[in-house]
Amino acid sequence: MNDRERVREKIAGILGHKPEKIADDAVLTDLVNNSFLLVETVIELQEEFDIRFQQADLAGLTSVGQLLDLSAARIAGDNPGSDLN
Amino acid sequence: MKIDENLRWILSFYRTSEISGALFFGELARSLRPSAIQQDMTRHFADEANHARYWTDCLEKLGAEPLKLPTAYQNQYLAAAGMPTNLMEILAITQVFEKRVVAQYTLHSRSPNVPDEVRQTIETIMTDEQWHIQWIRDALKDMEPDYGKDNIKDTLRRFTLADREVYKKTAIEHRERIVDLRLATK
Repeated sequence: MNDRERVREKIAGILGHKPEKIADDAVLTDLVNNSFLLVETVIELQEEFDIRFQQADLAGLTSVGQLLDLSAARIAGDNPGSDLN
Repeated sequence: MKIDENLRWILSFYRTSEISGALFFGELARSLRPSAIQQDMTRHFADEANHARYWTDCLEKLGAEPLKLPTAYQNQYLAAAGMPTNLMEILAITQVFEKRVVAQYTLHSRSPNVPDEVRQTIETIMTDEQWHIQWIRDALKDMEPDYGKDNIKDTLRRFTLADREVYKKTAIEHRERIVDLRLATK
């Protein structure tokens, strides 16, 4: 299973859906019933995969596919936010 | 003893905010790896749950049922400040929020004709709130090498501006209900 699919499985687990429900074109806010759940999701992804998001990463991010791409890129080591370290 | 509807609404508002805080931090604590932050966050959400219980008990002593309110104050933060995207930002927004809570409870305890039950509840809660601010301040300090001191400072500034905006909006929206508290600022 590649990183993208591992992230999809994790999101499905957090939100209580089957992974096939977490389609690339699904709108993130449609999958959660409150904003706090979305916050918890992004924090849990960072904890699980030992990655970090910055505010700019998530600005304009609306779909599951975009979040999968971002997470997979971070897991692969693409971390523009690391210049803060 | 029978309290007026405005006070019932305010105490219910506090209670709803404390419940939301407890649930949010409970979920976050579950997400985090075991660490000092997770340990403090666990205590933090237990405190918030207890605070909700104190307000429930206080309302009961005053002969009132809590009101079911549609949204917690914290929800408006996300709309005003943008979603916190990492643990540092979560702690920063919480720090700002906790300071607002302390200011609000202080204002309330100084307002005229506060029932003893309310004043005692606020005093009990305030001890915990001071600790909340302290542990988060310490945690943010520890995060400086990792996230950058200036970045943390900027984040706190952004959330402080959002807090002012949300508080102002809430005060205008509910001005009739909080008229007694506003008198305390004069």
